[in-house]
Amino acid sequence: MTTELEIWLKQATRHLSTASAAQVRAEIQEHFESAREAAMMGGSTADAADRLAMAALGHAKAANCQYRSVLLTSSEARLLRDTKWEARAVCSRPWVKRLFTAMPGIVLLATAIIYFTGAMAVARVLSIGGVGMSLFFIAPFLPLYTPSRGRVFRIAKWAVLAGVLGWAFGPLTLEWSWLLFSCLWPVAWIEWTRVSIRRKLPVAQWPKSLYL
Amino acid sequence: MNVKGTLPVLILEALEQESDHGYRIAQRIKERSSGVLDFKEGTLYPALHKLQNEGLVESFEGVEKGRPRRYYCITPNGRAILAKDRAEWRQLSRAVTLILGEA
Repeated sequence: MTTELEIWLKQATRHLSTASAAQVRAEIQEHFESAREAAMMGGSTADAADRLAMAALGHAKAANCQYRSVLLTSSEARLLRDTKWEARAVCSRPWVKRLFTAMPGIVLLATAIIYFTGAMAVARVLSIGGVGMSLFFIAPFLPLYTPSRGRVFRIAKWAVLAGVLGWAFGPLTLEWSWLLFSCLWPVAWIEWTRVSIRRKLPVAQWPKSLYL
Repeated sequence: MNVKGTLPVLILEALEQESDHGYRIAQRIKERSSGVLDFKEGTLYPALHKLQNEGLVESFEGVEKGRPRRYYCITPNGRAILAKDRAEWRQLSRAVTLILGEA
């Protein structure tokens, strides 16, 4: 491989995941070889053929920008790996799975008991926790196997989350919005990354976490 | 001439006739436009991947001259989109010709 092509490939595969970078390398090398052969068959010398083939590829930065919008980047691949690891950790231990599904119920039951004893403030905090837990703990076990079901669930999830926050902070929601934004930005970043992964991966390859 | 934005439809058109690998798809587009539609070949594959993500194109492994190659073929969805884009392009082209023809 020529040094120029190696430099081009390094720039074009910047920030791409290992698998995506390998795919880009393979297809561009294949393409470069074909272009080089065609130029040599047309009468060019080896050096001139290299130059022609390189020129035909264009700017590596422009290609990198386009590749990053259609192939998984390293941060997206890391997020996918992490969510798969979390799912495996939960699903491979039946007691963890049972605990996850039971927890929101237990919290909501405790809320009801505390509510009837008259400790309204504690009941309110617990109920918010219970609803939040239901969203995140039970969701992986719901029958969400189609993009449309996933979409409906996500809309419901954000609506419930907004409702819960509004309920928790009441009229002070706007005043405390700085705290909400600073606490919720990692969640928002993960959601945004998932949106990007959904666009790039065919539905057949989606792990469960992408439906949620 | 810059083909930005029209490259996906040109790829679908090239693949409608026969499945092919990236290099020949690029050459076919350039040849069929008599060299008028020129584009940087490094941007062909991102466009192919996008079409693949959208289910308009499929790829498979093949061998040419003893070398493994990735071939691309159009899907029924891709054909439907191509027919729609072709009709829209004809309509637009007619309208622009009417206006420019009058000038």
